[in-house]
Amino acid sequence: MKLYRINALLLKYYYLTVSRIDRLFDIVYWPVIDLFIWGFTGFYIQGLSDVNVLSMLLGGVILWVFVWRSSQDIAVFILEDFWSRNLYHLFSSPIRLSEHLTSIIVMGFIRSLATFVILWPLGILMYSFNILQISPLLVALSVFLLTLFGWAIGLLIAAFLFRYGQRIQIIAWSVTFVLSPFAAIYYPVSALPPWAAKIALALPPAHVFEALRALIYGTPVNVRGLWYAFIASLALFIATAYFLVISFRHSKRTGLLAKGD
Amino acid sequence: MNYIEVRNLVKTFKERGKTLTAVDGISFSAKKGEIFGLLGPNGAGKSTTINILTGLLEKDSGTIKLLGFEPEKNWEYVKNHCNVATAYSWLSDVLTIRQNLKVYARLYGVKNHEQKINELLELFELKEIADRKVVRLSSGENTRTVLCKGLINDPKVLFLDECTVGLDPDIADKTRTLIKDYQKKNDCTILFTSHYMYEVEQLCDRIAFMSEGKIVRIDTSDNLKRMIKKRTVEIAVKKDVGALKNFLKTEGVDVWFGKGNNLRFEVTTEKDKMYKVISKIFHQGFMLSNLHIQGPTLDDIFIKISRKK
Ligand SMILES: Nc1ncnc2c1ncn2[C@@H]1O[C@H](COP(=O)(O)OP(=O)(O)OP(=O)(O)O)[C@@H](O)[C@H]1O
Ligand SMILES: [Mg+2]
Repeated sequence: MKLYRINALLLKYYYLTVSRIDRLFDIVYWPVIDLFIWGFTGFYIQGLSDVNVLSMLLGGVILWVFVWRSSQDIAVFILEDFWSRNLYHLFSSPIRLSEHLTSIIVMGFIRSLATFVILWPLGILMYSFNILQISPLLVALSVFLLTLFGWAIGLLIAAFLFRYGQRIQIIAWSVTFVLSPFAAIYYPVSALPPWAAKIALALPPAHVFEALRALIYGTPVNVRGLWYAFIASLALFIATAYFLVISFRHSKRTGLLAKGD
Repeated sequence: MNYIEVRNLVKTFKERGKTLTAVDGISFSAKKGEIFGLLGPNGAGKSTTINILTGLLEKDSGTIKLLGFEPEKNWEYVKNHCNVATAYSWLSDVLTIRQNLKVYARLYGVKNHEQKINELLELFELKEIADRKVVRLSSGENTRTVLCKGLINDPKVLFLDECTVGLDPDIADKTRTLIKDYQKKNDCTILFTSHYMYEVEQLCDRIAFMSEGKIVRIDTSDNLKRMIKKRTVEIAVKKDVGALKNFLKTEGVDVWFGKGNNLRFEVTTEKDKMYKVISKIFHQGFMLSNLHIQGPTLDDIFIKISRKK
């Protein structure tokens, strides 16, 4: 791995972010809309009961960004190269797959942080909700765990893209939405029917959001759950990275890199 | 020293259970400073060969050496000193020309890249539009942008796969001159494919003729042209076209009528016969107003080889 090549691609993704309105929307528009919707919903429900719904919903919105951006940025930045038939030049250059992915992952993380930096003060301003007041340590830990999980999902999408080409791009767009009901972002796992609860507990994010809720409600945090989230995310990350390497080699045999589809 | 060396290269594709052999055991080599042409009909396997050499495709079997090294073993060195351009691909289309070149200059670890980029933009007459997004470029402008990228690292081995498609005659001519000048200055090796025969003739030192994944023949364009003995002669006379036609018939050559007083005839045997016929025409006292002799072109060779299967 060479740092200057990673930097070269970071520069490219920076240009992509600032010159394409969609890529800016990813960072600002959709997350802010989400914050508004869930913020006002929380406000309304809070008036009906005395549960601290608002913190729960807003905490969920702000932290889910890390899964969403980390996974989707990997997919979208790879798709951008498919769309402009640019894989040809990219992979005939000295770039290695590991450098390519590192730069995408780093850029995705920077973009998640950018969203965080927007949503955090906005939460304080609009709803007097300061996420860091819950527990800076847990927030940092959640960010880490959710990002790791997001990367694993992102690598999985990337693997599918290199294997099947851009015809599966619908998966890239929808996978975080499909996962979100099982992440128990806005409600506790206990609110899910038994079959869905099983799926939720098998996936890492639900454990993170359960811990967040425990802190908000002042109940004990399930540390084992967090450990599970870490080990499961790491295992998933390693497995999807391996799958990606295999898919990438497959794409060199089928000619996907040369033809772009 | 051979900068490109290919031995028994094989590449197959599998599609719906069928196996297609795109490259069928080809071998060739190109020396340092040589421009080597790959010619052949559509689907012959030229691009596939180049894609394997640039590392975009994995070969089935055979060996490759670039700059004296097997690419897998000296990956970094080989990649840093090779580059490729083709009109059928684009750089990132939402980035400007300059932004793209900055990214690729960094990828190839180019020193002084601002200066290098400005030089290339100047050379390819792109300076004025350097800050335009690639998506807005005309196809000729895109082609030149891709060529700039191809030269960004001063490659020692350059792959040019139909890199002049879509250029207007003036720019195409300038581009060929640029390629030739660059090649002379840097003594680099170029593997060149094109369907424009005059271009191949003008640029390439040697040509490998591919057909159905195999190399049929490797030679210089002059030697290749010796495969065809035909000469075409075009004659215009001031009067007596009919008489000239009859006279040529008695000499046993095929004649076509052109427009007005023009005649075209083809001599398919030796050069000597052509000269004999022409001198006889003079002796008969015909008043010529134009005489044009045309030898075989690379197009003729191309057609002859591709149809002989
Ligand atoms: N990725 C691929 N999958 C399946 N078949 C392929 C693939 N790439 C090329 N082929 C087939 O391999 C053969 C050689 O293709 P190639 O692109 O090398 O031809 P070419 O000589 O460059 O032709 P052209 O002059 O049209 O560019 C063709 O029959 C083509 O259809
Ligand atoms: Mg081709």
